[in-house]
Amino acid sequence: MEKIVVIEEWESSDLSLLETLDHVLNRGLVIAGEITIAVADIDLIYVGLNVLVSSVETAHEVLRKRETT
Amino acid sequence: MKLYVYCLVEGAATLDQPPHGVSNAPVRILPIDDFAVLVSELDNDAVPLTRDNALAHDAVVRSVLDRTTPLPFRFGTLVTAQQLRSYISTRKPALETNLALVRDCVEMSVKIIWTVLNDNKRERQPSENEQGAGARFLEERRQKLLGDEQRAAEAAEISGWLRETVSGVVRDERVTVRPSEKLVLAAAYLVERSKIKRFRDKIAEAGTARPKLHFLLSGPWPPYSFANIELEFETRLGVS
Repeated sequence: MEKIVVIEEWESSDLSLLETLDHVLNRGLVIAGEITIAVADIDLIYVGLNVLVSSVETAHEVLRKRETT
Repeated sequence: MKLYVYCLVEGAATLDQPPHGVSNAPVRILPIDDFAVLVSELDNDAVPLTRDNALAHDAVVRSVLDRTTPLPFRFGTLVTAQQLRSYISTRKPALETNLALVRDCVEMSVKIIWTVLNDNKRERQPSENEQGAGARFLEERRQKLLGDEQRAAEAAEISGWLRETVSGVVRDERVTVRPSEKLVLAAAYLVERSKIKRFRDKIAEAGTARPKLHFLLSGPWPPYSFANIELEFETRLGVS
């Protein structure tokens, strides 16, 4: 049985980290069995499943700010 | 004692400068059948999802990327040695096929976002004096559906156009079309190492051709999106 425990919050501005998270959390070989995801301080669904969208939205904000400065 | 598993490679692998793994654990190579598996031994039953651990997982997978193309495991794969051996021995043909697919390649990631609001979002909305509450609600629903349909149609067109644009320089692709307020699509491309520059040039040309779209390109990555041997597994959410 595998468990993932969230123990800290993420810096949403770190696009490189979000890209890495998008890859390591959502893709790759999975060994058959049960995966139990334990949620602690923050919403793991947000981190694990929507990191793709959040990274893009963060990128959009960065680009928008860059264009207005 | 369990094994935290990072990736699987063809044949024998060596680690010149073994990187630190998750929870700062040493990384070693475990030969199984005709493969080499990068693992760390951990005493705990859970792998904390921290920034350092996520980056460490990726760093270990990347540590062999210069010499070979690994099949990465998903973050959090913590199993017994017996489970790992059983997994590999029972899926050896599929693993070999998957390794052959990604051989000499890397993954390049492309995300496309809208840079302008959908046109029909700018349409004039009737004032309260012109419509009652019910009619306003229905009109708003209609506008939303029209917007969703328009975004979906545009995203499908963009997806097809992008496929043609990069068709000569990619070996395989995984494209997810997600028409939303900002995201058009997310794509992962399997690109031969010798064609990375050509791929980048193609994406740059695509960006020039479609100035209303932003192209976010990242890579090279280990082929996370192409390590896709389908297996039955169940995800459960719990609260710690």
